Amino acid sequence: MIFLIEYDRPKGHIVTFSSFHETERLEAENRRLEIELALNRTGVDHEVVLLEALSEEALRRTHRRYFEDPSQIVRSGSGGDA
Amino acid sequence: MRRGSLVEADLRLLDEYRRSFGAAYETVVRTIREQLQLEPTGRPAKSTASLIEKLHRESIRLVQVQDIAGCRVVVANVVEQERVVASLRSAFPAASIIDRRTKPSYDYRAVHVIVRISGKMVEIQVRSALQHLWAEFSEKLSDVVDATIKYGGGADVVRKALTALSERIAVLEVLELQIGGIETQITGLAQRQVPEQYGQQLQKAQEFLVEVKGNIIGARELLDTALNEAISGVEKLRGRKT
Repeated sequence: MIFLIEYDRPKGHIVTFSSFHETERLEAENRRLEIELALNRTGVDHEVVLLEALSEEALRRTHRRYFEDPSQIVRSGSGGDA
Repeated sequence: MRRGSLVEADLRLLDEYRRSFGAAYETVVRTIREQLQLEPTGRPAKSTASLIEKLHRESIRLVQVQDIAGCRVVVANVVEQERVVASLRSAFPAASIIDRRTKPSYDYRAVHVIVRISGKMVEIQVRSALQHLWAEFSEKLSDVVDATIKYGGGADVVRKALTALSERIAVLEVLELQIGGIETQITGLAQRQVPEQYGQQLQKAQEFLVEVKGNIIGARELLDTALNEAISGVEKLRGRKT
């Protein structure tokens, strides 16, 4: 699956999140460009990223930063369960 | 190139350039899936914000950026990481291997494998679960506390906590590698045709294994202390912000 994330870095929160089937790569890339152009016009500094993973669960494991706060990230490693 | 000064035409050009990495990226991800039976999380193209920051920070040209396209593999531990890196080396014999475990970059530890296909570079990040935990923590702090943390900046207290965590993970992983090596040795000795001839060697290896396993318990306790300190540090920072 392909995931398109618009992320507000200083706040550490996802602003928009959408998913696409693997066959919709072009559509996902076009959507990313549309969002980047709109943000640029309005002067909003958000990170817009396309990621590809087997599932949302896999994405949340390999890209925790978009979904969790710093304490949650560290807690996931305490007690030897990293 | 500065984000604030980008015009629509710049963004479209940059997007077109990023998309030109699509075929190389897909080849790399397909090879990892089919030959290594692993499921990487891919990032077909770096975000504009990250790209522009990198160009500024490192004073490099766009064509020199190694991670326009890339993917990430997170494995259970450093022994598995060694195995995956060896498999990647076989799958992509011309790849460059950057081992940031021995030479950390601002305490960041991982192995990066850079593959070049038709002139396009694709970066494969191979991280152990603990290296990944550290990297995610550092990146998140860079997002919400101070953007310079990821590159060695930020308040002393944050830097010290990150360095302590990284060093303790490194110690633990050296012991994990030792255990992996001893277990391989023990298996090899036990499979010899006349294992009794190697009895003394086997006994020594087994005793050493017990000793290293004891050391790893201590290293894990030290790491847990560092993790708890990091959590308290974050809570304090949050308290100051609110």
